Amino acid sequence: MFGYILRRLAVAIPTLLLLIVLSFLLMHAAPGGPFTQERALPPQIVANLNAKYGLDDPLWRQIVNYVWGIVAHFDFGPSFVYPDRSVNQIIAAGFPVTLTYGAISFIAAVIVGVSLGVAAAIRQNSWIDYLAVGTSIGAQVLPNFVMAPILVLVFTLWLGWLPGGGWGGPIYWIMPVVALSTSFMASIARITRSSMLEVLGSNHIRTARAKGLPESKVILRHALKPALLPVISYLGPAFVTMITGSVVVDMYFSTGGIGRSFVDSALNRDYAVMMGITILVGALTILFSLVVDVLYAWIDPKIRY
Amino acid sequence: MIDTQQMQSLAARMSEAEVKGRSPWADARRRFRRNKAAMISLVVLILVALFAIFGNSLAAWSNEEMDFEVIGNAATMGMPSFANGHYFGTDDLGRDLFSRTVQGTQVSLMVGLIGAGIAVIVGTLYGATAGYVGGRTDAIMMRTVDILLAIPYMFVLILLLVIFGRSMSMLFLGIGLISWLEMSRIVRGQTLSLKNREFIEAARATGVPAWRIIIRHIVPNLLGVVAVYATLLVPLMILSESFISFLGLGVQEPLTSWGALISEGAGTMNYGTLWQLIFPLFFFCITLFAFFFVGDGLRDALDPKDR
Repeated sequence: MFGYILRRLAVAIPTLLLLIVLSFLLMHAAPGGPFTQERALPPQIVANLNAKYGLDDPLWRQIVNYVWGIVAHFDFGPSFVYPDRSVNQIIAAGFPVTLTYGAISFIAAVIVGVSLGVAAAIRQNSWIDYLAVGTSIGAQVLPNFVMAPILVLVFTLWLGWLPGGGWGGPIYWIMPVVALSTSFMASIARITRSSMLEVLGSNHIRTARAKGLPESKVILRHALKPALLPVISYLGPAFVTMITGSVVVDMYFSTGGIGRSFVDSALNRDYAVMMGITILVGALTILFSLVVDVLYAWIDPKIRY
Repeated sequence: MIDTQQMQSLAARMSEAEVKGRSPWADARRRFRRNKAAMISLVVLILVALFAIFGNSLAAWSNEEMDFEVIGNAATMGMPSFANGHYFGTDDLGRDLFSRTVQGTQVSLMVGLIGAGIAVIVGTLYGATAGYVGGRTDAIMMRTVDILLAIPYMFVLILLLVIFGRSMSMLFLGIGLISWLEMSRIVRGQTLSLKNREFIEAARATGVPAWRIIIRHIVPNLLGVVAVYATLLVPLMILSESFISFLGLGVQEPLTSWGALISEGAGTMNYGTLWQLIFPLFFFCITLFAFFFVGDGLRDALDPKDR
């Protein structure tokens, strides 16, 4: 097991370095420098700015400095647009918010999705089954950027129950969480349902029933674990999509997470912030897929590692 | 005793024209036709395509004209009506939403089809090559795909769009860059199971070069899987483009797409111009629905495993 984790890390670390170097080269290849404005600055000022931000160093030294800053000091450097703020400060301001509603959404999606899927599989062809199948089809065509306006329209404009945006107590969490988690909930429910149906038809379940175990024990003890394997392998991609979706939530509900900073920096061409967030998200993704793989290997005894 | 009647019917059957065999494709076609949801979805898709192609000749206003009578008070004057020719209403700049929706449909469908097209070509060739060649080449090629898949592509795509300027070609390139990854994995898996079959062995024995085996013998046998996956990929590409356009980072005015229209409609619904959200959203949803159902139908039709 330990060796397996080490081997996975041996792939994850180069991936992350590649991401950092690639995004750095992309930024370097951008036409115009970061200080190109509509009103051209005097060349001395540009030279001074370049010197301050280290942009007059040779390219390899810039890359080494940038990578070293991130790896050794967790420092993404200064923002090119806001001279008084560093990328770290911008991320630190938004990340807790994203983490809060992201984690709630993720947990809610898994718990509700798995319960709905299991219920649908146990009572196949009942109303709860049709509900699960129906919502999972509906959620495919209602991505978060469609859900968000519809939620605001219904719950803020028509019913007036929930605030349409901002960030405060738990009442502000409801709509972002619903908008972000619904489609994952539906996918998880669909995956759980089909794998549960498959497991329920297998021999070891028949044996468990034959030896007189109560149905609840058959489901929880013997059926749930193998049925969850496909769900676990779905969690990795779901995490990526969810992080991407948080951009929409931040934009639409003005929650103030890192998604907002990302889009703002994209519109301002603040490359340092864009790169910082991209790398952070990339690192989280890689870390999460590592955790998922280890979890999978730990649960499924058939996996050789 | 020989039953004369039976003998006669046997003779009649023997003299009939030879029974026509059914190819696997004909079987698949029959299965697909029996799937009601998929057939209805196919009709919906054809209607949406017709709307995109011929919609402009039905529109009373062009997408760039502004109706100066409506400008500024779209909420009261810009309602959908047949009297002034704005079938879907207008936005607050007085632009006709019908022709804007037609334009958005064209752009979104194009993005979806081209993205899926790139995925089909690049992904199939890449996956088939990796699977057929095998060994170390395969390991390196697929490890690369794994690494690329681990990168949060939406962020990289936005990075690309910002750095190299927001244009349609950049959007196609960016979406095309990521769309083939999943496809190449699926194709590789299929190729692995194909490559030890007798007809490939025969081709190899007669000295056909590897690239030719891939193109002439492997790829045609992958068509079923590729078709299914490509159909399911189109809506995903449309979703990606809409997502970027929703953030205001996608196609630029005067061009528009479903995502851009939905974003605009979502931004103005507080002012009571609900039609700006509903019409683009309607086309967006039915098209995605239809693509998913057609894809599912194709999978059921082409995958004899589940029969």
